[in-house]
Amino acid sequence: MRRGSPNSGARAVLQILLGAAVLHISLFSEMYLRYVRQALRPYLVASGVLLVLVGLVGAVVAVREALHGRVEHPEQYEHGDGDGHGHSHGSGPRIAWLLVLPVLAIFLLAPGALGAYTAQRSDSTTVKPAAANTGFAPLPTTDPAPLRLADFDARAVWDSSGSLKGRRVRLTGFATSKDGGGWYLTRLTITCCAADARSSKVEIRGGGAPPPQGSWVEVTGVWQSDSEAGRDNAIPSLAAERVSATSEPDNPYE
Amino acid sequence: MARESVIEAVQTDQTDQTDLTARTESAATGVRAGRSRFGSNFGSLELLVVGMVVLLVTRQLVAGWVGPPWLEAWAAVFVAICVQALPFLLFGVVLSACIAAFVPTSLLERALPRNPVLAVPIAGVAGVVLPGCECASVPVADRLIARGVAPAAALAFLLSSPAINPVVLVATSVAFRGQPEMVLARLVASLATAVVMGLLWARFGRPEWLRPRSRREPSAGTGGWASFRATLEHDFLHAGGFLVIGGMTAATLNVAVPRGLLSSLAGLPGISVLMLGLLAVLLAVCSEADAFVAAGLSGFSPTARLAFMVVGPMVDVKLIALQAGTFGRAFAWRFSGATFVVALLSSGLVGWWLL
Repeated sequence: MRRGSPNSGARAVLQILLGAAVLHISLFSEMYLRYVRQALRPYLVASGVLLVLVGLVGAVVAVREALHGRVEHPEQYEHGDGDGHGHSHGSGPRIAWLLVLPVLAIFLLAPGALGAYTAQRSDSTTVKPAAANTGFAPLPTTDPAPLRLADFDARAVWDSSGSLKGRRVRLTGFATSKDGGGWYLTRLTITCCAADARSSKVEIRGGGAPPPQGSWVEVTGVWQSDSEAGRDNAIPSLAAERVSATSEPDNPYE
Repeated sequence: MARESVIEAVQTDQTDQTDLTARTESAATGVRAGRSRFGSNFGSLELLVVGMVVLLVTRQLVAGWVGPPWLEAWAAVFVAICVQALPFLLFGVVLSACIAAFVPTSLLERALPRNPVLAVPIAGVAGVVLPGCECASVPVADRLIARGVAPAAALAFLLSSPAINPVVLVATSVAFRGQPEMVLARLVASLATAVVMGLLWARFGRPEWLRPRSRREPSAGTGGWASFRATLEHDFLHAGGFLVIGGMTAATLNVAVPRGLLSSLAGLPGISVLMLGLLAVLLAVCSEADAFVAAGLSGFSPTARLAFMVVGPMVDVKLIALQAGTFGRAFAWRFSGATFVVALLSSGLVGWWLL
């Protein structure tokens, strides 16, 4: 047996730990929303349960081995090729130890969702939506109309019928500073996981002093139709009537 | 104090990853074989348990501590990539273990024609049936080779399945709404790349580059549940370790590559296809999401965005790590390098034809 390879007991514990970490963020809390899209939850729970179960069975096998004083031989990973990552009787791949890193990151660092740091370093992207050709759906009739920030950007940049004109809207996001003064209301959108985050920004005019960088705010205001349009990286602006602090939503992404 | 040691541990692991493979090589010679089996059998478990207790205590100490923003962002992307890939990897590993334990070798041998020129396209098209991202296909392809499927066919399957399965194609059509030609171009270019790579392997590939399971595991086991569990555990821990390496690399690049750099390069024709191909390798975005990222890369030509979507599911830092772990480094570099070139050429041609 190679030194440093996880033995059958350690392998079982590794799997249980990883399973527990996944269940910790997906089943017992909403933390998974900081990292991946909502639709992934059932698969995460299933993966966590499977890992814990396989780990428990592995632990039983390991305990029985220890009691009977023998080493397991269910699968003989014979190796003599000496090209790394080999495995020998009863020992797992050494690389498996790296799996403690995501467990540590989840339990120790518990990193928050991506926010101002990421948004500050990326451009706002408003891809031309299909509705730009076929016509946008009517806005909610309430006043002010609650809108996703990305939807507001899409209408402001691409809606030639001007559905936003004169309408009061309410947007939720976090504050990021603008080069040369002023600030943006910003929200990140993820499709699969945080690695593919894209940002949507709205320049806020008026409404008092800029909120602290990264703080969550709700802004009510009216679209400024003088802002540029028809470009993917155009940033529309909003004349703010009211800016109020709010708490980070359960799902920090849109 | 405790919090510093945590950061240090993370950073050390990050820098250590590159020489890890080198170190295993020397360790594999088994110089410590004389060590008592009883002693070694309990060492690593104790270490793990003691480590966890220490961490639980540390956790209380670091509670409320928030790291610098870059570390926070890095850790979020790292956890996101690992967590996102985990269900797919498990799915692939379970499927692989099922094939190992319950599908007789003769069945797979009969399913594909002997002649690679026929088998490769069939295997490439068969990639449609595995709905998942690229993490699932590596263990499955590895298992297929171990079960006697010609490597050329298994490799075509490995490349095509994450790129042309229905989930990915639907995602592409949603991201590029009103541009069905983009979905078609992705399908054609990805399939062409997979088939060309399979045929190239059949013609030029050398068995010694590939370190398939058949050489790591001569006796395929007796089948049944005991073999199922053992295979599952081994494959998962092995692939999972490499996934972590890939996740750390991708997170580092994700946080380090300034996005503004891209838009300044977008204007250069010719270069832009290469740039987005490289970006796909570096960012390691899941194949189900890359269409949305590509749709957002608006300054670039449609052909360049096609290249991003063709290269991404076939070559990226996470996949190179997974392949190096599964098939060996000699294979991973050659195969990924060749696939990158073929994918760019194929995207260029298909883009010129369809877009």
